[in-house]
Amino acid sequence: MQSKKSFFNLALFKKNISRTWIVGLLYFIILLIVMPIQFIINLANFDEINYEEGYTKTLNLIDDISYVPIGVWGIFIAIAVTGITFWYLFFKRDNYMMHSFPVSRRSLYFTGLISSIVVSILPVILTALVTTIVAAAEKIYAFDVIWFWALGVSATTLLFIGIAIISLMASGQIVTSIIFYGIFNFLYLMMEVAFRITASILMFGMSNAMNNISYTPLTPVFFVDDACKIKVFKMYDNLGNIKTYTYTLPGLKYLLIYIAVAIALIVVSYILYEFKKLETVQDFIAIPFLKPVFTIGMSFFISMVAGALVAGMIEALKPMYYNTRFIVAIISALVIGCIVFYATQMLIEKTFRVFSTKKFFFLAGYSLASLTMLICLRMDVFNVENKVPDAADIQWVGIDSNYVMVFSRPEDISAVRDLHKNFLSDKKELRDVNKIYNDVDSGYFTIKYKLKSGGFIERTYSVVNTESDKVSANYLAATQPILDYLNNPTRIKEHVIGNIWDDCTIPDLSFSQYVYNEEADDYWPEYAEFETLSDKELTDKNENIYQAFLKDIDEGNAFVTTFGDRYNNTELAKITLYNDFNFTVANNKKEYISDEMTFWDWYGDDTYYRTPEYERSIFAQLTTNCTNTLKALKDEGFYTDDSQIITTYEYNKAMGYLEE
Amino acid sequence: MIEVNNVTKRFGDFAALDGLNMHVERGAIYGLVGPNGAGKSTIIRHLSGVYKQDSGEITIDGQPVYENEKLKQRFTVIPDEIFFFTQANTMDMMKFYKTLYPTFDEGLFKKILSCFPEINPKKMVRTLSKGMQKQVAFMLSIAARPELMILDEPVDGLDPVMRRQIWSLIMSDVAEHGLTVLVSSHNLRELEDVCDHVGIMNHGKILIERSLDELQTSITKIQLAFEDELPTLPPEIQVLKRVSTGRVHTLIVKGEPRAAEQRIAALNPLLMDVLPLTLEEIFIYELGGENYAVKEIIF
Repeated sequence: MQSKKSFFNLALFKKNISRTWIVGLLYFIILLIVMPIQFIINLANFDEINYEEGYTKTLNLIDDISYVPIGVWGIFIAIAVTGITFWYLFFKRDNYMMHSFPVSRRSLYFTGLISSIVVSILPVILTALVTTIVAAAEKIYAFDVIWFWALGVSATTLLFIGIAIISLMASGQIVTSIIFYGIFNFLYLMMEVAFRITASILMFGMSNAMNNISYTPLTPVFFVDDACKIKVFKMYDNLGNIKTYTYTLPGLKYLLIYIAVAIALIVVSYILYEFKKLETVQDFIAIPFLKPVFTIGMSFFISMVAGALVAGMIEALKPMYYNTRFIVAIISALVIGCIVFYATQMLIEKTFRVFSTKKFFFLAGYSLASLTMLICLRMDVFNVENKVPDAADIQWVGIDSNYVMVFSRPEDISAVRDLHKNFLSDKKELRDVNKIYNDVDSGYFTIKYKLKSGGFIERTYSVVNTESDKVSANYLAATQPILDYLNNPTRIKEHVIGNIWDDCTIPDLSFSQYVYNEEADDYWPEYAEFETLSDKELTDKNENIYQAFLKDIDEGNAFVTTFGDRYNNTELAKITLYNDFNFTVANNKKEYISDEMTFWDWYGDDTYYRTPEYERSIFAQLTTNCTNTLKALKDEGFYTDDSQIITTYEYNKAMGYLEE
Repeated sequence: MIEVNNVTKRFGDFAALDGLNMHVERGAIYGLVGPNGAGKSTIIRHLSGVYKQDSGEITIDGQPVYENEKLKQRFTVIPDEIFFFTQANTMDMMKFYKTLYPTFDEGLFKKILSCFPEINPKKMVRTLSKGMQKQVAFMLSIAARPELMILDEPVDGLDPVMRRQIWSLIMSDVAEHGLTVLVSSHNLRELEDVCDHVGIMNHGKILIERSLDELQTSITKIQLAFEDELPTLPPEIQVLKRVSTGRVHTLIVKGEPRAAEQRIAALNPLLMDVLPLTLEEIFIYELGGENYAVKEIIF
């Protein structure tokens, strides 16, 4: 008759604490420095620091806490404490002795777990308590902020303890367990990065695949600081003083999910411990079913990325056809996969004798699956290359070529989708442009969709100069419509100058005259000065030039997008002015929405709390074709003599920068 | 007390225990002997509740050992390599054992400790010599007042005086409290002095399991000389080994010594001596067919 087992053993608990308390104490000291001590120092200097008017001690505390990380603490403390607590699992002598004591595995496990939780989470609670006392003493009633932070750190620490314990159960070697801990914590991110690296090298339009990596809840250490960080919003009056403020404690649902996941992991770890075969001490992997998972996972991801890198390196040396590059990648991935497969087996089995028939068949099966996966990528089975999102899902679509334009009106979104689909329909020739048109100057353009769900789909394509007589009719049919769309004058004005282009003043405008300076042996910029003019006269002068510039846009002479190399194009350099031309558009009643900032997502989704902008400085690259603007500049006295105008080509020639 | 029935344990392709059967009576001192790799430590780890068998049954007093806290409170284990907590001194370990074993006798512990004045109870156990660590382990085990003590190579690393002291402690506990002892060792001479039962193990099986007396009377060494060649022996005499030097023959004969002596006497030898075999000799002759190399390993 089996006797009843207990969950907790006080003697073991004391022993565990006696070995880990020092870690907890150090952790507590660090947290004390970061939280209450830092806050006390700030309070001591509060009157001396030149804060904004309206900045209170409460706001100071909330600001301070909002900058204290949440996820980073737990990830280190969890593995340190659980590693020390369950140290005996990794050494035969310790392991056998501990399990020969009259203590059940259940008791060993839960006592270890409880002592780990106490050492890892008690310092957080104590820190929150001390901070609360300090705040209360200063009559700062923001306790919810303090304890929300403590909840965030505690919940993520509990999750990391769960991950740490499952990692410790997964291997019979402490170092390997710590490596597994890192892998489990960053598994999703590493898989995503592996796929993105492969896609960026092999797939059409995916060269920027490494952009837009956003942290998901599956990478908690990064995600939690984004999702659960205390957000403070300050509202200012006209004088720039803080009128009022508010704060939110976001992401509670994620913390609750993390706690639930932590409990699930702890239960799974317990089951693993109950069934753990103690003869697996010092084994690379202690859980039998993890062995094939690890082997296949390692072989697949390493070989996929390595295969793509091999293809990418060869491509860098000599441009290849798209299909050739894929074949190189597939062969490399299969060969490297075999090597990694056997290397992993050697690690797991701790022997070089792993070349059995059984393993060979396993390898053959894996290789076949890997080959199928890579062929699926090539055939775009997962609809990555051909992906054009539904119009209903798109918040905006942006195109980045020579200039950035972002479109959010339904008709524009629809038009850009059609252009993109048309472009993709001739994918075969377009994806080989670097090989087919090797001697035509080339560039890139990017189409980026911001989805209503918050995600992004971004594709970047290599393109060549459409004005070259070498490009085919098919190529032109695929690319010219995009250029025509982008070079529409109304779109240029609306999206390159901005949404206030037709309802703005020009408070500032500058044009540099370039005069050769013998002493410096270089052309130095000089600017016309109009100190005697009133603001009104100056603005009128600027607006005359602006109107002339708009006329140049209408005539197709400014902000023109071309597919091709703008920087090494001699013909273009001969008409592009070296002189700088800047102007500022302003409307103090209408917010300026920057296409560029929208495209790079600098506004984020929180438009309500965005600090509005009412003016924007625009830089325009003038050419000698911008006759209207140049005439207006001369008429308005921004330059007096044509000798003050110099093209990029002339400048480079004069300075001896041109290659013979 | 200990019943091991048809137990198997495989480590990958290797069968460490292969249908092992073992029976230890209460109050017995059972010596488990066998060459390296025979499976002695493996069965001891099963009896300690560390390993779980693949098949078969292991019980102590009718109860399965694995994960049985209550049962394990009734016996102590001293493995070949002893573990102590990193920062613990002897007194800390004593407190730890005291909480684990309800029968732990602190007075007895202190009494035994006083017999080992060279051990500083305030010093961390891990900093003590290997021999002293073993002494501490024995003190803790004996003071736990177990019904059964499982010892794996227990006196390795101890000097002869200390060995005697340790065995004397154990023997007095056996005598006073009916302690059952299961001990594995290479040191057969030592086992011969203390054990009353012996199990000879090889290839994951118990080959022979008998009381020492029974074992020692089941094999006999007979030295004899005849005027001429050695005559044909009666078929009832099972000769395990025969060595001849001139007209003098040494026979290792299986079976009851007196019967063998009478049958050989009927052949009228010029000289006949019947000699008892040591445990070491029995071990070698029994395992000779099983594992010829054992002779070279042990001696």
